[in-house]
Amino acid sequence: MKQVEDSEILEKFSNEKTRNEAFNLLLNKYQQKIYWHIRRLVIDHDDTDDLVQDVFIKVWKNLEKFRSDSQLYTWLYRIATNESITFLNKKKQQNNTPLDEVSAELSETLVASSYFNGDKIQLKLQQALLTLPEKQKLVFNMKYFDEMKYEEISEVLGTSVGALKASFHIAVKKIEAFMLNEDISF
Amino acid sequence: MEKLDKTGFTTPDRYFDDLGERIHARISMERLKAVVPQDGFSVPDNYFEQLNSKILSRLTLDEVRQPEAKTVRLWQSKFLKYASVACFVLVASFAFYVNQIQPSAKKPVLVNQSNEQMLFDIDEEAIIEHMQTIDQVQTTTSATDTEIENYILNNYSQNEIARNLKY
Repeated sequence: MKQVEDSEILEKFSNEKTRNEAFNLLLNKYQQKIYWHIRRLVIDHDDTDDLVQDVFIKVWKNLEKFRSDSQLYTWLYRIATNESITFLNKKKQQNNTPLDEVSAELSETLVASSYFNGDKIQLKLQQALLTLPEKQKLVFNMKYFDEMKYEEISEVLGTSVGALKASFHIAVKKIEAFMLNEDISF
Repeated sequence: MEKLDKTGFTTPDRYFDDLGERIHARISMERLKAVVPQDGFSVPDNYFEQLNSKILSRLTLDEVRQPEAKTVRLWQSKFLKYASVACFVLVASFAFYVNQIQPSAKKPVLVNQSNEQMLFDIDEEAIIEHMQTIDQVQTTTSATDTEIENYILNNYSQNEIARNLKY
């Protein structure tokens, strides 16, 4: 199925008569990408479900103001990233949880989740990712799972390409060390 | 930029410093991807098929909860608007005119009358006694009795004066 161009979505959205059609096209094109991006950050499916809806509600309200100086795709990712980080920060504050214990909490959620069907290695990779600082985790996820270019990740995070490359390489080293420590070689 | 004299090509600063590490990281990533291509997460059945309608329902609900504020025009017709303004101008002009023709001498009389009324209400002996206790102030500042009285009446309320005179 041929994917609709972002320019067509934006043009249809700018017209009140075709706005709903445009939004449906946008949802069909990006809902899964945004869902998985959020899911890899917050782990739990129900939390992700809420956040995805919040993100697209925000998109509906603000798409008119979207300036084409960035790609629509990276703009959506930026909103999703910010919503996820805000959610995780609120969780830390609500539970009075120290920062390092949030990762442990998310790791427990991962193990107990009925919507994680990964094998031992996949579980270890996710647990390794939970030990990374936020930015390294974001860069790794977008590079590794979403196969985004550094320039696109730079638009999402507002960080230079050079810094992102450094973050990614450090993340890979840490994950490698974690996996080897768990007796998992690759 | 570092310049290689022979070829004329340049590289970013310190490019070769961590090139080895970056290559190693890239190899590790490729190897990891061969072993772990997916993240292992799953979703409930038909989740994405229903997600669109969930989002659209929430949008509709949001719009129902926060309907656009209805604008009610105060002035239904231009004639009414201009007629109201004209009436206001007439009334204001009349009030100003009436105010101007009042003799100005009456104003100080009204102020003096209210001051005198206040003094009348307070016991005379108490006032005299109070004036005697501030005699020192009068001598040092050279203020007249009238000036002092006016100062007290202008800066203190009747209750405050009465309260102080008790002591």
